Amino acid sequence: MSSHPVAVDKVGKVVLLMGNEAISRGAIEAGVAVAAAYPGTPSSEIGNTLSRVAEAIGLHFEWSSNEKVAFEVAFGASMCNQRSLVAMKHVGLNVALDILNPVSLRGVKGGLVFISADDPSQHSSRTEQDNRWLARLNCVPVLEPSSPQEAKDYTRYAFELSERVKLPVMIRTVTRLSHMRSGVTLGPIDRNRRRAEFDWEGFSYRVAGFEKLFRRHKERHEKLDRVQDEFEELSFNELKMDGGERLGIIGVGFAFSYVIDAIRRLGVESETAYLKLATSHPLPERLLGRLLRSVERVLVAEEVDPFVELHVKALAKDVNPNVNVYGRMSGHLPREGEFSPVIITSALAELLDTEKPCRPRDELEADARKMLFDRMLTLCAGCPHRATVQALKQAVREVKGDLKGVVVNGDIGCYGLAHAPPMSFEDTYFCMGASIGVSQGMAQVGVDTIALIGDGTFFHAGIPGLINAVYNKADIKVVVADNQTIAMTGFQPNPESGRTATGRPTKRIMIEDLARACGVEHVEVVDPYDLEAAKVAFMRMLKADGVAMVIARRACATEAVRAMRPYRPVPYHIDAESCIGCRLCVAELGCPALVWDDEAGKAWIHATLCTGCGVCIQMCPQGAITKVEAS
Amino acid sequence: MEPFRLVIAGVGGQGTLLASRLLAQSAISAGLSVKIGETYGMAQRGGPVMSHVQIGGMVHSPQICPGEADVLLGFEEGEAVRRSVSYLKRDGLALVNSRRLPPVEVISGMAEYPSRERLMALLSKVTGNIVSFDATALAEETGDPITTNIVMIGALCASEYLPFPEDTLVEVLKKAIRPAYQEANLKALELGMKAFRRAAKKVRNFGSPLAACS
Repeated sequence: MSSHPVAVDKVGKVVLLMGNEAISRGAIEAGVAVAAAYPGTPSSEIGNTLSRVAEAIGLHFEWSSNEKVAFEVAFGASMCNQRSLVAMKHVGLNVALDILNPVSLRGVKGGLVFISADDPSQHSSRTEQDNRWLARLNCVPVLEPSSPQEAKDYTRYAFELSERVKLPVMIRTVTRLSHMRSGVTLGPIDRNRRRAEFDWEGFSYRVAGFEKLFRRHKERHEKLDRVQDEFEELSFNELKMDGGERLGIIGVGFAFSYVIDAIRRLGVESETAYLKLATSHPLPERLLGRLLRSVERVLVAEEVDPFVELHVKALAKDVNPNVNVYGRMSGHLPREGEFSPVIITSALAELLDTEKPCRPRDELEADARKMLFDRMLTLCAGCPHRATVQALKQAVREVKGDLKGVVVNGDIGCYGLAHAPPMSFEDTYFCMGASIGVSQGMAQVGVDTIALIGDGTFFHAGIPGLINAVYNKADIKVVVADNQTIAMTGFQPNPESGRTATGRPTKRIMIEDLARACGVEHVEVVDPYDLEAAKVAFMRMLKADGVAMVIARRACATEAVRAMRPYRPVPYHIDAESCIGCRLCVAELGCPALVWDDEAGKAWIHATLCTGCGVCIQMCPQGAITKVEAS
Repeated sequence: MEPFRLVIAGVGGQGTLLASRLLAQSAISAGLSVKIGETYGMAQRGGPVMSHVQIGGMVHSPQICPGEADVLLGFEEGEAVRRSVSYLKRDGLALVNSRRLPPVEVISGMAEYPSRERLMALLSKVTGNIVSFDATALAEETGDPITTNIVMIGALCASEYLPFPEDTLVEVLKKAIRPAYQEANLKALELGMKAFRRAAKKVRNFGSPLAACS
């Protein structure tokens, strides 16, 4: 396992790393002692990587139950003079915000770096929230790398900075950087472990006396002033300017990569000055001032909000009121979404009045869109959630007489795809744990609901909501789609898995025990692959008084098939003689292994995709589906 | 030097990520700079996946501009056409696995998979350099259909577009693949190379490669 490239101890060696792996490597080089994360695209590979090398390197890595807990774990270690890392997707910081605020006021001891993996254009998220605002809200310095090499180098530097100024430091990455790969030159790994000792003078009310944290607000501002001075001279920020250029460009973080490529594509090196800006908060105002004073027009390129642009406009008023500032606010760049080479190249070409070199083939693309399906997302072949939703639909039909007899509030995870056809059985879906919360508001005004939540999400944010439902007598029904892993983000273990992030055995925490401890009296556990048993369990739940829960438990099919390798599950097949072409299996289940043959007017099973779950045989009215005989 | 630009198009689970990594690792072994951009979102759930690979030259962003790719490596017919239309340069090389993976809208009867004739007619508006063969059938010959990605890399290598020698790729492949699977993968590479040479003979105006694959 230690052969993973992030653990290679050869200074100067070039290894192929993805952005997230490079961040992990930066933390390892900085001698991080404690790292904690909750998985979430696009951040998950930071934790995946650390979980594989933690023991070989000699650091503690854990998948925490949520981002707030992860942040607190890291801060605890920091107060004991250890370097610590927290990684999360952008919306994870919303969960961790409550602890970030006092940490930034109180200050840190061991360097504390947190990674915000933002998702411009929300490829795998519910929002494209720009977390730099949250960093500013909390006086946190922000570093924004534009390549895997910088992701490593900036992370390493962030630990030194954090420790020197005693503030937490945020590294902001975006999906394209987190998921890109390129060669990274390795630096030395700091293997010196410091003695872990609580900083009594710095943090103990017993020793240093109680203080109101708001008194530290001034101190926090002074720390940020020192950071700004440091950023003015920092080599990560690069001003390229000879004087007399027609246009100045500020490329912030990853957006710089589009800017520099566009300058080269257009061949406008001599007409443009640029500032490659790695530090978006606090801004190096003197450095920016040098650019603003020497050009008449400046374009600010950043993802996603006009965070730097707004500040540049304010700064321009003082240093050069005549400079025109262009960007997302002026309409020269779109107000929302991530950039692309086309967007930035076009904006530059327009401002410089030159020809656009890369034009999308709009007409041909429209033809392709007309001709080709979207290839919509679906649950994997054999996914237990498909069976859960199927049995739940049958139960709702029988008890309520109509599928619209309940509002189905979904949650964050694979089962969120319950909204997709042909299942089409989910109405809402917001943020971690919201299924249980919003269901209660509906229940309190007499609307029947089902909260559909996964195991990982239940541990993350479901428990306070469940306690609230019992306490406040909200008549909600909760279905836990329990596949015993955090599948959506790459099969990370959770408290029910019985193993830690590094594969060590640990106590299994069972959702039924938690639910009963929260006061839920009606709790059942079923295997969703047994459609009939699951259906009747759901019917009992729907008829029960008060808060009731069914846990539909069956291991993730994709993970189960992986665990079997090199063996494969025994697939099912459809007897063409018996199949009457009623389409029930394909139309109701939408399993990728079930294929409709238009010419024959019959269904068949894709043997290499079939996981042998046996759910479709329970749907077939003809008994035409049978197990393939082992040869 | 202009970079060599490649787009790999496929469906989640087809091994596009491994393919792009093998090519990138080979580039690094050959002392060349490389950038890979991945678009996968929730690919594990049957969605389309795409890798942009740029080898050599001065490149910072992992994304290729429309109409800029020298080669389009398509692991699935429909996806190959979809991405060629956007990214392949005029008269660039389209290497297409003719095997189709119908999406859920097709298998459940909500949409139709367009005919090969219609797809190829659309692709022909971008390029005449189309090399298409059933790579999955060749992978099945090795005993493991999962090696389709390696068959396709074999075809790419035989096209002589890659700016590094075949030996470099073979060395990287041997290091990256567990010993138990090596034989099948090396055979897949060879079958892909042969398939390309057979199929390319039929292509009238096969373009001039950028660099020799020794």
